[in-house]
Amino acid sequence: MKSEISAKNVQFISTSGVYKTPFTLVIIVQLYVGVLITILANSWYWNNLYYYFTGQIIFPYPINDSILERVFFICLIPLNIYGCAYLFAFSIILFSVVIFKILNKLSPQKEGIFLRDTKEWKYVHRKFWTAFFPVWLARALPIPWADIFVYRFFGVRIGKNVVLYEGYVDPYFIEIGNFTMTSLNICIFSHLIYQDRVLIQKVKIGEACVVGPQTIISPGTQMDDRAILGANSYTMIGQRLESDLIHVGTPVNIKLPLQSVEESQEKVTKIKESPKKMEE
Amino acid sequence: MFQPASLKGDSPTPIDENVRKKFIPLYILIILLSFIPVSIMEYFIVLYLWRIQFYVIFILLFPLNLICMIYLLQFSAIVISFLILKMINLIHAPKEGIFERNVKDKEYYFWNMRNIVKKWALFVTASNPFPWLKNRFTLRFFGVRIGKHTLCDNTWISSEFVRIGKNVILGMNSTILTFGIEQDKFILKRILIEDEALIGAKCVLLPGTIVKKKAKLAAHSYSNYDFILEEDCLYGGHPAKIIE
Repeated sequence: MKSEISAKNVQFISTSGVYKTPFTLVIIVQLYVGVLITILANSWYWNNLYYYFTGQIIFPYPINDSILERVFFICLIPLNIYGCAYLFAFSIILFSVVIFKILNKLSPQKEGIFLRDTKEWKYVHRKFWTAFFPVWLARALPIPWADIFVYRFFGVRIGKNVVLYEGYVDPYFIEIGNFTMTSLNICIFSHLIYQDRVLIQKVKIGEACVVGPQTIISPGTQMDDRAILGANSYTMIGQRLESDLIHVGTPVNIKLPLQSVEESQEKVTKIKESPKKMEE
Repeated sequence: MFQPASLKGDSPTPIDENVRKKFIPLYILIILLSFIPVSIMEYFIVLYLWRIQFYVIFILLFPLNLICMIYLLQFSAIVISFLILKMINLIHAPKEGIFERNVKDKEYYFWNMRNIVKKWALFVTASNPFPWLKNRFTLRFFGVRIGKHTLCDNTWISSEFVRIGKNVILGMNSTILTFGIEQDKFILKRILIEDEALIGAKCVLLPGTIVKKKAKLAAHSYSNYDFILEEDCLYGGHPAKIIE
């Protein structure tokens, strides 16, 4: 079976995403829990506000009424709205991490090829749909590094000082080393759906790598330390990118040496000078 | 799946500025009308449930109320733009072909008009937490047919002249374009994807492409105008050529 899926024609294709299953309703459960936690945590504050505007109370909390306190509470409204957004997002993130951990206990993560309607196939879909909403929320928050924390919660190993703001990343079986930079519109897949089977393989990205814009990293790719993947290229399944080299191609088939800026500028000046000599 | 803003499937349909100016009132009217059902629902919920006896029920039901609001807003936006679209199609039915890219050309003018009418419904469904709604639900109202068990949540699909079969897999972030703007020419052509086809990530299908049964297109490639991908073959490259 393994030879069938890693045949030549599959090497050129890397699709991703997962099928829609009834388990997608977990998004509604997550939303329900998130809104409820936000309301209950803020009940004391909103109770006071409601009292100041209407003279009635919602929850039976004690209220001290004075002009200073009224001004103070009304001035806090913008901060409260801002805080609510974070509270909503992080309560949902923590709740879905709990669901994700339970799913991991029920069916531990495994590498390999699985057919449709097996247990692994179902649990891959369930894990993806639980991870969808928290990552969506983290990306919608005004702090750009929030999604890195979410990925770490789900078990993706992301090192220090990693740039990973604008790309699609699968929620498990991915390791990214320290000081790696990824660019715009990249896709890092650890799974691949091919007709009626799903392939899962670990992706390893070493330290201080650079992943260029518009690239696709297929499952099973190994990037050694300081390897560079050029723009608009994609890697094959299980490919190894050697260190200190630039890798380019669709799929990757060209290796280029690294150059310093001075070296490349010297070459440029040589090229610019050479036609002049010819004319003379 | 969880894309950042730069990968989100919101419609990048270009609308001609000369047409846009005329139809901004219509666009705002669609937005206002679509909020009416939501506001009526909220009015009655607050009227009947915001009482001292029912505070607990109101708060427990509030998350569900929020979900209902999201769905109702989408549904009303779709229904209103669908009705206006039907009226526009009665005046001038959409046609395939190669036209002049000029506001005086009737096809180009009405294509822009249709885009303005669809824009709000597509925007609302693309920016909500339910990723399947846009391609599976909204596009069906505008005449796009997508078969069962198709994986298409992450692709950007044009909102007319598209037909996709069963068991198709469309890759992450690929684009299906049924319109093309080539300098002063404007092209509108049908795209057909038959059953069990497989299209890789970040592909672009240009107008007129026909993907036959079980054909495969490699990741990161685009198919040329009026290109036919034969059965059981693998294609790839810029533009796509046969590999196997």
